[in-house]
Amino acid sequence: MTRARALALGLAALTLGALASLARVAPVVPACAAAGAHHAAVVVQHGDGSVASRCVAFDASDVTGEQLLTQSGIAWSGQTFGGFGDAVCALDGEPARYLDCPGKDSYWAVFVSSGGGSWRLSNVGISSLTLRDGDAEGFRYVPSVGNPIAPTSPAGVCRAPVSAAPSADASSRVTAPSPPGASPPLSSPSTLRTSAGQIAVAAATAGIARTAGSGTPPPSGPDGGLLAASVAVGALAGLAVLRLMARRRQRRSAA
Amino acid sequence: MSEPDGPGLAPRAWLVWSIAAVTVALLTENPVYRVLVALAALNVLLAWLPRERNRKPLGLALLVAAILAALINVLASHTGADVLLRLPAWLPLVGGPITLESLAFGGALSLGLVAALLAVAPLSLVLEPHDVVDAMPASLERTGIAVATSMNLVSGFGRTFVSVRDAQQMRGWRPRGLRSWNEVLVPVVLTAIEDSVLLAEAMEARGFGAGRRTSYSRNSWTLWDVAVVVSALAAAVLFVGARLAGVAMDWYPYPTLALPPIHPLLVVGCLVLALPAFRRG
Repeated sequence: MTRARALALGLAALTLGALASLARVAPVVPACAAAGAHHAAVVVQHGDGSVASRCVAFDASDVTGEQLLTQSGIAWSGQTFGGFGDAVCALDGEPARYLDCPGKDSYWAVFVSSGGGSWRLSNVGISSLTLRDGDAEGFRYVPSVGNPIAPTSPAGVCRAPVSAAPSADASSRVTAPSPPGASPPLSSPSTLRTSAGQIAVAAATAGIARTAGSGTPPPSGPDGGLLAASVAVGALAGLAVLRLMARRRQRRSAA
Repeated sequence: MSEPDGPGLAPRAWLVWSIAAVTVALLTENPVYRVLVALAALNVLLAWLPRERNRKPLGLALLVAAILAALINVLASHTGADVLLRLPAWLPLVGGPITLESLAFGGALSLGLVAALLAVAPLSLVLEPHDVVDAMPASLERTGIAVATSMNLVSGFGRTFVSVRDAQQMRGWRPRGLRSWNEVLVPVVLTAIEDSVLLAEAMEARGFGAGRRTSYSRNSWTLWDVAVVVSALAAAVLFVGARLAGVAMDWYPYPTLALPPIHPLLVVGCLVLALPAFRRG
């Protein structure tokens, strides 16, 4: 039983180690970072085509999409969907009021650009997104029917980060500006999450192209998890088929 | 165990494995993890299922459960970006667009059901009812007996149905509409009641409820039993921990279909559930 105990202890240690590596990065983004070591862009494209963009500075090695959006100072409200994370219901005053989240006619599609790459549609909520230096988080208000079109390119949004924190007004918006920091009036109950903080906008640029970067580009690079899952599914399915064939052979030989 | 030849697993190890696999399958809505649990459980079942056991009832149950779960979601949920077809709006509940997203979510629901059913299948198909009772903790002994008895009654009910139908067919009975089935169903129900009375008398005659259950021989645990229990618990703890840590492990296809997020460690967690399959090459 000594071997059994050693095996049990070893497996328990492995589990603990695995759990430790799963733990989410603590929210270490400073509440008011004038200029951080890292920068990530936030691009918001409204239904009418107008664009608001921010460059957000942070000191931690990575931040969640929710932290980035909150720190950008753009008013937003969302709703939590279990393990999926938080979905954005209203952003920068659009829609002004809503009952359903995601909306039945239009909704905020979330995109991610890693290291200056092309936009990729996010498969998790913004609270589950992880962004690093040079990444970008994009939002576009799209119709519920049809594939969502990516927002305008984040190129140039974090072109020249400055050390002093300008006001949120320095960020750009092409048309129909909404008052920054104003939370949209909501008609939904208290399950909604609202953020209207203008905290750490380190640098903002006016480099906005109304149409540039539109269209949904292909995802950038294979996902490691997806690759591991494909191999695992293939191996288990193959093993199951082999076992089924062996059982059939045994039955035939027994008959 | 129903197949005495070759080394077996302790009933309690089976119970822990089943509970852990069901926990993993139901803790996440991610279809990838659910497929992995279902395949791991299928491999375990194929490795341990006695040759004389019929697989068809389980296959049929899995098929019906999967189709029903997917169908209900597809017909009742009308959200999603990609519309496949539109049912007339005057149809109550089901009227409206049928979307690819609702089909995908229905598929994920079906996978959860299939994975959970496959995870508990060894308790009825591999273990004997008395093994299931032995696997229960002492405080749940009576619950175990009730579960084992009800599992026996289900298969007994099926056998009675087949024998009564065959007997009626030999007497010239042929199914003609719903009413004609009365001639089969009434004897089946009466036989089931009679069987349950007989079972109750037999249990009482053998001292059921008189005291603690005793056993002639005790199952000794091997290294494999310990490995199966520890790995199953590790998988369950990994998923519970990931859920508590806020790791994205669910999948929500609305309003637009996207690939589910996958964490390689959780894939490993699903894979270790296949360990009992390797006890029998």
